[in-house]
Parts: sequence; structure tokens; C-alpha cells
Amino acid sequence: MKDLARLALDTAAARGASYADVRAIEFNREDIQVKNGEVGGLDLSDSAGLGVRVLVGGAWGFSATDDLGRQGVERCAAQAVEIGRASASLEHENVRLAPEPQHRAVWSSTCAVDPFRVPLERKLDLLFRIDAEMRAVRGVKNAESFLSFQRKRQFFLSTEGSDIEQTLTRSGGGFSSTAVSSDDVQRRSYPQSEGFHQALGYEFIESIPFVENARRIAEESVALLTADQCPAGDHDIILEGSQLALQIHESVGHPTELDRVLGMEANYTGTSFLTLEKKGNLAFGSKLVNLVADATLPNALATFGFDDDGVEAQRWHIVRDGLFEGYLTSRELAHRVGETRSRGCVRSDGWNHIPMIRMVNLSLLPGSGSLEDLLRDSDRAILMETNRSWSIDQLRYNFQFKTELAWEIRKGKRVRLLKNPTYQGITTQFWNSCDFVCGPGEWKPWGVTNCGKGQPGQVAEITHGAAPARFRKVRVGAGYET
Amino acid sequence: MQKEEAKGILDRTIAAAGGLEIEVMLGGGSETLTRFANNEITQNVAERRYLVSVRIVEGKRTGRATGNDLSKAGIARLIERAAAATRLSPEIQELLPLPGPQAYREVDGFDAATASLGADARAGEVGKAVARCREAGLEGAGIYEVRAGTIGDYGEIGPLAMANSRGLSAYHVGTSAEFLISALEGTASGWAGYESHRAGGVDGGALSARAVEKAVRSRDPKAWAPGRYTVVLEPAAVADLIQDMSWISFGALLVQEGRSFLAGKIGQKVMGENITLRDDPFHPLHRGSPFDSEGMPTIPTTIIERGVARSAVYDRQTAAKEGRESTGHGLPVPNTYGPLARHLVLEGGEGSVEDLIRRVDRGLLVTRVWYTNVVDPKSVTLTGMTRDGLFAIEKGRVTHAVRNFRFNQSVVQMLNQVEGMSAPVCSGGVVCPGLLVRDFHMSSATEF
Repeated sequence: MKDLARLALDTAAARGASYADVRAIEFNREDIQVKNGEVGGLDLSDSAGLGVRVLVGGAWGFSATDDLGRQGVERCAAQAVEIGRASASLEHENVRLAPEPQHRAVWSSTCAVDPFRVPLERKLDLLFRIDAEMRAVRGVKNAESFLSFQRKRQFFLSTEGSDIEQTLTRSGGGFSSTAVSSDDVQRRSYPQSEGFHQALGYEFIESIPFVENARRIAEESVALLTADQCPAGDHDIILEGSQLALQIHESVGHPTELDRVLGMEANYTGTSFLTLEKKGNLAFGSKLVNLVADATLPNALATFGFDDDGVEAQRWHIVRDGLFEGYLTSRELAHRVGETRSRGCVRSDGWNHIPMIRMVNLSLLPGSGSLEDLLRDSDRAILMETNRSWSIDQLRYNFQFKTELAWEIRKGKRVRLLKNPTYQGITTQFWNSCDFVCGPGEWKPWGVTNCGKGQPGQVAEITHGAAPARFRKVRVGAGYET
Repeated sequence: MQKEEAKGILDRTIAAAGGLEIEVMLGGGSETLTRFANNEITQNVAERRYLVSVRIVEGKRTGRATGNDLSKAGIARLIERAAAATRLSPEIQELLPLPGPQAYREVDGFDAATASLGADARAGEVGKAVARCREAGLEGAGIYEVRAGTIGDYGEIGPLAMANSRGLSAYHVGTSAEFLISALEGTASGWAGYESHRAGGVDGGALSARAVEKAVRSRDPKAWAPGRYTVVLEPAAVADLIQDMSWISFGALLVQEGRSFLAGKIGQKVMGENITLRDDPFHPLHRGSPFDSEGMPTIPTTIIERGVARSAVYDRQTAAKEGRESTGHGLPVPNTYGPLARHLVLEGGEGSVEDLIRRVDRGLLVTRVWYTNVVDPKSVTLTGMTRDGLFAIEKGRVTHAVRNFRFNQSVVQMLNQVEGMSAPVCSGGVVCPGLLVRDFHMSSATEF
């Protein structure tokens, strides 16, 4: 593959590209699902190809192919240059790439037990044990569980002399139970909705108490059918970590993507309220709010040695003590915020798509105290757990989330199970209402594996570490107000 | 990929399986896309990609392997991996044997000029579009995308050709062209879009002019209080809501499991008498594939007829449970999701969106909606935001811009409150009209 990448790079340069980079990628994936005692899916998939990105006349061109013969690769590189010329034919400001040292490196994520070498029987056995635990609970309509593994081996070469090989292995899994009545559908999932994934091998799967939690989760899904409706009104809410992770993703991660801020996503995922003058000036949240972007976080989904611009992984504050400090940037756009080096946030989801600014791992730093400490500090509140739906406007102000379950908290105790909890707010008002963030003992590296952005659409995976936190006087009940 | 080449790959795969029960799906094609923002081309890409997905069946066991190495060795490896997965997989009691040969209706959905459209031609239309934006002092952003084959919006790949060891053989290739543009001035924005199987209908200048007009009108929005309003939803907004409803409602498995609002309601009136909703790949504005991921022919299916629930859409497994035939809406087997309606048609009226506006005394015009998601599946309550042009309608005229709203609205209830329809168009993959709807629930405001 590396030889093919070199051929593509040389062809692009010979055809007139002033800059070119090539990513040649081999991709392996294994997906296994079990539903109601049967195999619901069993797919082993591979993919290999390369993508050529060029600057011609100061404008971008990109072409990708899975035709990995010599002619196919040369044709692909030539097409990238041709497309770059078409881009340059319109009036434009020339792309200026921030300087980055030449890197020659090999990087790999941690993988103690290769998931692709673990026998299928062992994986199926785990899923069928989870399935049996859930289906032992009367009233469960659908018991669904899955495991998912992927490995990406990537060669990156650039005309600036960088030569980087990276291998990323990630493992994940989860399960859900659905209960149905004539007028209601309730769902519980574990460890979070859409499963829990990390850049680790099969040892990660074996570290999670899936089977031990299956019966409880199934019972909760059934109990929700007859639970009271979560009361509407302004309430103090406590968000469990995985829900807070998605809150971070939608209301902090996306609005700090510099390409969005500068209008490059305007037609699709939108722009951002975090316009350039707000950097260093906006009270994004309360003093307790510290949000850190970190592409070096161990075993996280968006951890790498180098991004798809060939920039070394970094860690920096997005929000420090409540103050908005920084953006997610690229070599192309760093200068627009007065920075001389990219933060290294450029990725693509495969060989077939052009790299673009994507979130790196973005986490809320822990405060202090346990969840029980937080509950004891709460006279009246609603504790919300596990995401069920999400929505936010295209400037990232107005959001609404629904969680699978909530508990009414009175004098520090969980007193009543509540169904259909929703909450809605405006981003900065919400983060400024944060008055308690639990400590390191409650902090977990939750994740998002279905982040969509770009045209053509690309899917990214990101870890968002969070501990439970409390937010004061948040509007609860949208969608269920009578 | 031409039919003969595709058939050759499928035939070679089946032959290489040496008598195993095998299903082969070939998918992919080409996708080119010019993306622009701030009146410049910002991304300009081309992709060529094919994959083969092999499924082996041994009695009640099945396993699948997918790859993009179409060489003889690559195909042999796929067969080997799928066979190994099959042997290790427990029996699936409801697994059906592979279907035999099927007959398919021809669909004229391929336009050669579209398939061969180059980067220069795309740049030309983008150039016209951004010129209009510049003239108006606005920033233009959007895409001109052309596809031939079955690469989806997020790179997912559907069946271009299918065959199995029982003699089934299917092939369909189509083209698509999409031009979308937003015109922006700060937080004021307008939007316009075109989609068809033919790129020949793209007029970047005219689309840009529509987006610019909306953006200019969007300046200085007034804050209206949240509440229930009479709204005119343009087709792009309707399409989004109907598509989301389909994902959680129209598949037979959702109905059989009691998760759809249609459960127990077939034959009953569930919407207004003016609502007829079908799934039909042969509609001239769709020209979609005539078969599904099981290779079964897709049969146009009436889901709602004049407000009465008529039928879900079926794959072979859900059909077998009810002793009926598949309607050809299956996903790759096995799957946990069930069948899916892919070519929705909401029948409309004959007039224009402007005709609907003239009928409103006080209400809102919604250009499109954004980030819709399900709040409550059984009532099909969705939330989402208005976007790129929310306007006041007063005494039959658009009078000024209004700050965007978040809505929380049952789509079933909405389709009981439709008081007018424009002529249908294709938007967002759905053929649908604009709708005049009373009591649409705008639940909270945003900051722009």
C-alpha cells in the first residue's frame, strides 16, 4: 500500500500539484448482533483504497479510488489535479497551510488482545448470555445486543516529506431492552446508548460487566411503561456522564470547529454562535466548567499520533474556568485565529473521503465529590440517565435532549422513577448554570460513534469524558407538555 | 459499471462458491461533489468505489462477508470468510431459503450526460451561483453533487446488482444530481435546492437567486412567542418530517413488534382524508431501484389511503409471518431493523406554495427544518428547528422574518390538520407537496 501511496504522490506532483498528500488505508470490521435469541447480523468486512488530496493554483482537489492497479492509482492522482484546477478556475483566496515539521513515524493504539483473533463462538456466547438475561424479564419485547470491532491501518505521505504509518484498533459493544404497550415504547440501554467503544482490543469488552447488568436494564425498560411522566417545568437537573458526553459533543464540540465558525458547513450542518471575537471574551460556562480537547487521551476514539494533515496530536483548553479560549483548527485555517500551528483536528472517515476538521476527544474535567455527594447536596432535582434523542439548531444555541430514564431526587434520595424526561436550553445559559461537577472517581471516557458532518457525509468517532454534573433551573418536559 | 461487467463478477462469485447456497450483492459506483462556501470552492472531490457482499446459507445458518477486492483471490477470500461465519453461526429459526428468479419492472433512471459530468461543468454552475450571491453582497455556500450507482449520502452502499445460486439475477443503475445552496448574511440565511436523476436541469444562477431572495427577506427577524401556529411548510420541510416518520413507522417489523403507530390500526382512519402516502420507486420523480437487498421486486405500496392505514412495507421474513408476499423493501439479511420504505410519495394538490400562503390570515412560512429527531415514537412526535427562512404570513402575504423556532409536533396529528397542499416535487429523497397545516406546535425560540 505504501508503494501505491508513493506512486500517487509522485504522479500528483508531476502533474502540477504544489502540495499533495496521500492516505492509503486498509480497513477491517466485524459486526455481530443478537436479537431475541437469534443472530441478527454477522458481517465481516474489509476495504482498501487510497485518497489523493492536492493543492493546484491555491485550491483543493481530491480523488479516491479502490482500483489499486498502477493505472488506477495514476488515474486517481491525475483526476485529483484536474479537479484542483477546476476549483482554482473560480475566484478564490489561495489556501495557506500552517507550517508543520516533517514527521516520519509509526504509531499504534493499544491492543492487548486482538479482537479479530478472538473466536466468533466466544463473542456469540457473550451476546447470547446477555440476551438470555434480558429475555428472562417478563414484558421485554426486544432484547438486542452487539459487538463491533474495527481496525484501520493507514499510510500517510506528503510532498513535504512526512511519512506516517498508524494503526488504530477499536472495540465496542452494548445492549438494549425495549418494552412496548399499546401507546408507549420504552427503551433502556447499557453502558450507554449506541454502545461503549474504546481504542483497545478485546480486553476492553471483557472489562465491562455486560451480563451482570442485563437483567436490571431489562427490568427498568419494563418499569418505565408504568412510571410517572417526568413533570414539566423549570427544574434543577443532574446529568449522568454519558448524557453529559453528548451534551458536550453537540453544544461545545461542534460550535468550536473552526470550519463551521468560518462558514464552510453553512449549507449542511450549519455555522456557529462562537464567532471569532468571542475567543477569550465569552463566559461560556460557570467557573466549574473546564473543557479540554485532547488527541493524546489514552485509549480514546479520537486519539492518534498525527491527524490527516500530518500534524502531531495535541491537548489544549477549549474552555478554562468558564472562559471560552480556543477552537478546533486545521493547517488551512489556523491563521484565521492568529495561530501559527494547527491544533491537529483534521480527519476523514476512510480512504474515500477528504480530510476535514473533526472533533478530537473533548472532555469536561472532573470537579470533586461522588454522585452520592451530589445527590446529598440536592434537595429537589431530576437525575437523567442515558440519551434517547438529541437536536440542536444550526448555530448551536437551542438544544433539546431526551434521556431514557430519570429519577426524582428529594432530599438526596431517588424517590420516584420517571419516564420520557426531556430538557431544553440555550447553550451558554445552560453551561453557566452548572454548579456541581463530580470528581475523578465518577469520570468516564464515554463516546460518540455516529457523528455526521460534511458533504459527502462522513462519520466520526470521538470520546467525551465526563462525570455527572448539576445544572440549575433548566426547562424540562418539552414534547410532553399538555 | 455496465450490466455485463457486473453480471460477470456475480457469476464468477457464484461459480467460485462451488455449489454452496450463496447470495451476492455488488454495489457502488462514482460520486463527484463540488462544495463551496464564502463564494469559493472549498472542497472538490471524486470517488470511485465498488464492493461485493457475499452471504452463504446452510439450512438455518447464514453469514456474510463484504469487501472491495474484486479480484479472483479477493472473491475467494470473501466466500471463505462468509462460509466460516456461517458454520459458526447458530441457527436462525426464521431464516428463509434464498429466493428463486424474479421479474423486475424497467426503470429509466440513468442519464449518461449526468454520469459523465466533469469538474469543469460543476464549477461553471457553482460560478453562476456564487456570482449572484456576490452581486447581492451575500455569502453563498452549497454543493453540486453527481452520482452514478448506489453510493449513499454517508458512503453507505446499496445493491447495484444481485444474484444468487438459485438463479435470481437483478441489475439497476441510476444517476442523481443535486444542487443545494444557502445564501447568508450573518445569521440571516435563505436556501434553495434541486434534485433529479438528470444534471441537465441544474440552474445554479436561478437557484442562487431564490436563496438570495430568502436571505434578504430574513434580515432583522422579529421574535414571536412560542405557540401553536398555522404554518405553510415548504416541500423540503415536509420531506424531512415524512422521512423521519417512515423510519419509525412504516416497516412491517415495527408494526409487528408494536413499536409503530400503525400497530393495530390497519384499516382504521389515522389521518385526514386528504392524506394518501405511498412507497413507489417507479414514480417519475424517483426513478429508484426496482428491487431490494434480498433481490425481491419492489411493489408500489399504499401505506395511507385517504387517511386510512392500508399497509406497512414488507421484506420476506415479515411477509412470511403474515402469510403474504414481500413488497420488496428488505435490507440485507439478516438484520434487526426490518423492511424500510425508500421511495416515499405523499400525494399533493395542484397549486403552488404561494397559493397556500394566500390562504393564511396569520401564520408562518417554514422554508426547511433541521436536526429533526424522535421524541415519542408511538405518537411520532418529532423535535427539530426551523432554518434558512422563517417568515410571518399576514393576510395572505409574507411580511417579515421571524426568529427561528424549535418545534415539538406529532406528525400523525399534523397530517390530521392539513388544510391545503401544493403540487408535489422531489426534495430530500421524498416526493411531497408543500402543506398548509393548522396548530403546528412551535415550542421554544432560539437566538436568531
